Amino acid sequence: MKAFENLSPATLDEAVELLGTARANGEIAYPAGGGSDLLGMVKDELVPAPDRIVDLKRIPGLDSIRSSENGTGIGGLVTVDALADDERIRSRYPVLAEAATAVGTPQIRNTGTIAGNVCQRPWCWYFRQGFACLKRGGDRCYSVTGENQQHAIFGGGPSFIVHPSDIANALVALDAEFQVTGPNGERSVPASDFFVLPRENLQRENVLESEELLIGISLPSAHADRPGAYRKVMDREAWTHAVVSVALTLDMDGALCRDARIVLGGVAPIPWRVPAAEDVLRGRQITAELAQQAADAALEGAQPLAKNGYKVTMARALVRRSVLELSGAA
Amino acid sequence: MTGITRRSFLGRSGAGIAATATLPALTTGPQQKAAAQQPGPAPRTRIALTVNGETHSLEVEDRWTLVEVLRDHLELTGTRIGCDRGECGACTVLLDGKNIFACSYLAVWADGKAVETVEGLARNGVLDPLQEAFIAHDAPQCGFCTSGQLMSAKALLSEGTEVTEANVREALAGNICRCSNFLNYQAAVARGEPGHPAAADPLRVVGRPTPRLDALERVTGQARYSPDIRLPGMLYARILRSPHPHALIRAIDVQAALDLDGVAAVLTHENCDIDWASGDLANRRMLFNNPVRYYGDAVAAVAATDRHTAEAAAQLIEVDYDTLPFVLDAEEALEPDAVPIQPGGNLAPPFGALRGGGAAVPGPAVYERGDVETGLAESDVVIEDHYVSKHHNNAQMEPRTAVAEWESGKLTIWTPTQGITNCRDDIAAAFGLPNEQVRVICEYMGGGFGNKNQCQDTDLIAAELARRTERPVKLELTRKEDFLSIHGRWPTSQYYRVGAKRDGTLHAIELRGYSGMGPHIKSSGDIAGIDFYQCPNVSKAVHTVHTNVTTSANYRAPSYPQGVFGIASVLDRICDEIDMDPLDFHLKNATRRYRDATPYTSYGLIDCIEQGAEAFDWRNRRRPVEADAGPIKRGTGMAIGAFTARLGLSNAVLRLDDAGTLWLHAGVTDIGTGAKTTLAMIAAEAMEMDLDQVEIVWGDTDRSPYSVGESGSRTTSHTGYAIVEAAEDLKRQLAERGPPGPGEELVAEASPNPSLDGEQRYSFAAHFVELEVDTELGGVQLTKYVAAHDSGRIVNPLTATSQVKGGVIQGIGMALHEELLYDRNTGIPVNPGYYGARIMTHLDTVPIDVVFVETQDAHGPMGAKSIGESTIIPVVGAIANAIFNATGKRIKELPISRDRVIGAMS
Repeated sequence: MKAFENLSPATLDEAVELLGTARANGEIAYPAGGGSDLLGMVKDELVPAPDRIVDLKRIPGLDSIRSSENGTGIGGLVTVDALADDERIRSRYPVLAEAATAVGTPQIRNTGTIAGNVCQRPWCWYFRQGFACLKRGGDRCYSVTGENQQHAIFGGGPSFIVHPSDIANALVALDAEFQVTGPNGERSVPASDFFVLPRENLQRENVLESEELLIGISLPSAHADRPGAYRKVMDREAWTHAVVSVALTLDMDGALCRDARIVLGGVAPIPWRVPAAEDVLRGRQITAELAQQAADAALEGAQPLAKNGYKVTMARALVRRSVLELSGAA
Repeated sequence: MTGITRRSFLGRSGAGIAATATLPALTTGPQQKAAAQQPGPAPRTRIALTVNGETHSLEVEDRWTLVEVLRDHLELTGTRIGCDRGECGACTVLLDGKNIFACSYLAVWADGKAVETVEGLARNGVLDPLQEAFIAHDAPQCGFCTSGQLMSAKALLSEGTEVTEANVREALAGNICRCSNFLNYQAAVARGEPGHPAAADPLRVVGRPTPRLDALERVTGQARYSPDIRLPGMLYARILRSPHPHALIRAIDVQAALDLDGVAAVLTHENCDIDWASGDLANRRMLFNNPVRYYGDAVAAVAATDRHTAEAAAQLIEVDYDTLPFVLDAEEALEPDAVPIQPGGNLAPPFGALRGGGAAVPGPAVYERGDVETGLAESDVVIEDHYVSKHHNNAQMEPRTAVAEWESGKLTIWTPTQGITNCRDDIAAAFGLPNEQVRVICEYMGGGFGNKNQCQDTDLIAAELARRTERPVKLELTRKEDFLSIHGRWPTSQYYRVGAKRDGTLHAIELRGYSGMGPHIKSSGDIAGIDFYQCPNVSKAVHTVHTNVTTSANYRAPSYPQGVFGIASVLDRICDEIDMDPLDFHLKNATRRYRDATPYTSYGLIDCIEQGAEAFDWRNRRRPVEADAGPIKRGTGMAIGAFTARLGLSNAVLRLDDAGTLWLHAGVTDIGTGAKTTLAMIAAEAMEMDLDQVEIVWGDTDRSPYSVGESGSRTTSHTGYAIVEAAEDLKRQLAERGPPGPGEELVAEASPNPSLDGEQRYSFAAHFVELEVDTELGGVQLTKYVAAHDSGRIVNPLTATSQVKGGVIQGIGMALHEELLYDRNTGIPVNPGYYGARIMTHLDTVPIDVVFVETQDAHGPMGAKSIGESTIIPVVGAIANAIFNATGKRIKELPISRDRVIGAMS
């Protein structure tokens, strides 16, 4: 790695200011939460070499989980491990606890933060091997005519990356709100608006502007205590991103489904909510047949590339099985 | 908190990122060079780091990772670097009680925090109970991952949660062990039983389960591997590699690199013409070649005062390339219009001719007996089929590293090699030195599985840089470089025509095969497996072909698992066609004499098949094809294997001193197999002494004698044979002269070169697997595995069992998900590394039952034959056949990954 300076601001304002000052001086500066994804990209020169790294870990108050009547607030620096282990999250938002448990390895969960996980860059193998692809300012997506086994079947084009975060899928399923701070103060962004498709913005996967930081996530109480599950299919059993995953919550009244959230991971450049499948379930009694209908609806409109058509079969089965398993109708 | 804010740099330097480069460079492309000036001093910060209870005040560069500071600045080298990217777990330490990847955490971030490393586990000279358990369970093989495994286990136990098999696997999920001793690690942490069969007929020492002699060094971090060597005044080297799969270098400008402060030397093809003779048997191969012939081919090497400067300097080298057409696939490379990769064209001469030094005319390696066309015509059933296997990486935990130092004209190299003697001889030849002017030291090495035979180009580059700079030089490869330089099992394309009689008698086998070797021929390229069967009519032609991919080298039973995938699948199709149980087919057709002619010195194959089938309960478990109606389908499969147990020239020295200690000098490095322990056991047995009276001297060409090298599963037979012979001599001396008096010692040396008169010496195996295929999610879950092996007498049941389990688990990875995948449009691999190539983890393992059929081989030391490589041979074939039995679908291309399973079902 080229030399850089590590800065340890004590407040968020200071962090934002340090990032802004660096940019004003023509320098390159990155914020670091857990920092493991950042260091890997810097070592592999997937991003321009930084002059400054702004370490956020010493900013107090961002590493706790708070519950109130209105819901639950999770600081951006809460580690994935703490999230997975938190009793309140496990009991009230099981889909999120399961998604956190599915992340990487213990070592990654112990340093990685919820905000960093949600904002991690693509793990498309062309991107990670340093190809000059669209995501790196190049002129094409190499997957289109290349090895696209792992790529998007929904929402692709011109880049066909899939969003790598497990946790992001659960947060979309929970209608979470994302708290963002930056040079222009704080703002709140619904999870459903936070992630952006390549056709909207090729260079980034979310709405964060320059020097903006994701500092917290709130989970509305309306979604608390809903049965939920996160199911992740991988091509080995540890430390890979989802080939296909599903984040699912069901609001059940006996066998009747009052409401459902189904979000697919590994299939699109953003967490891919499938309202058509939710509509199939809503207000109906869940049976094997209905679960199949929901699964079919979920994959309606999928546009596989040459080598990833298998994801359609896989995702359909995963939705059907997850709905049956979680509803107890299996 | 966000991984990165992109706009900040994209707005400023979007064009600078990659717009001028169309291909990824292993080091940065030219667009960043203009900006590179003499860098200012790297920012530093004073931190307080509490390591194993002791607080250090250190000034660190902000960019230094925690593992860098632990290893290079606190000299705590027990924490290893396997990938430097948070993919393997070798660097795992505890930070405030939680296990983390120390390679992915800056040292400045740990300011004020408490770090625990492997060196802190033992207190006051007393091992942690975990370390004791690791020793008892034979958890470390090569030991390179062991520190990390220990620290993750420690984190689990410190949490105070109940320890179950499941949460042990979860807790260790981020710690890869490429020796694949996962099951022993899990058992050690969960305090399970060390699972190994007892020897049938244990002798005094041989046949007793024995923890390896150097287990203590491996569980405490004390074992010194090549990356741990640091010499005063040492320079660090880096290699610049080709960003193109095939290109002519028009010009190289190294001036900017040389001008950088701290740079001592730069090597390129223009100023260095050293032959790397053992890098290619068919063509002349230099350390730096022009043209470059694969993505990652070495273009230049830099030596500088530290590794960051060396890295920066490598990026300042300007290379002007003329790109050439490239070809990745062996069969495409033989098309008339394919670009020639070597002067003689893309078809290489047969390996046997190259090795024999005879006239090397391009052409396939051909073997024939009987008349295959007549045999096929006489057959009742003929299957014609095509199978494809892929490049499969050794992925040993320790990246290649070499440290070279010249002193008064003598070169000393610390390097991870499987053969110190042949490594030394190759280096001496390259530099035109007599052998005794080169000393190779390798006391511990972190696995190789075949790809660390002989000398590496890293050895020669480090040595040449050290010679020119007159300073010691250390060259460390990154994990990605290690995947891209010589590595991995060659991909194959196999065309079969196989015929059998209605009663199941195998009658004809034809194999036409193509092996894509990369630009250089370093290994045989053979496709083996048909010799496991009796058959009167055989015709085999295998073409070894130059391609523009990473050069393949040896990987555990180099030519077998891919060949068995092919032939075992075809024969399984015959069984299906004539409705014969594969068990009966194998009992009927398994080899009895080598190539139906030459007797084996000892033979346990039928016993392996029968005892393995019984342990597996084959007759009850075996069910018709696709017996399950639902999406989850269960099936069983089997395959057999054989691997040579060669004898040949070896050497051993035994010294008995006046204190009654027996000193054994053996030229081994112990690549993780436990060879030091096995050989010491043989010495103790032969001398009728106890094991604790034996001391071994190893891993140093100046102190230990010739050895053939730890390859070809030869060490026990070769060196063991010499030890037995030396012991005979020593016992004779003892009988004649009595024990040595004060200050005296008795010395015996043996250099036998035994040969077999009209016989073949082989080890045998039969594997049985049951699995479930999830036809919708594409997953394959193994539910039972039995590996039955005839390796002659088992010298050490503890380490031999580890060998079997490790080989099987590597084979499972090859069968189901591991592959080095190339982008066909650019000729660049997209997934080099543990993450990308989907290397096996703790969570991918399954229990494995091991059965030893202990034949007594008259030629071996105490009846022992060979084991290491036979363990992986049947695995892929057995799994592929079980998948067919489960689903009725035959998948003919490796790996049998989820996409291929689902694809086959539709």
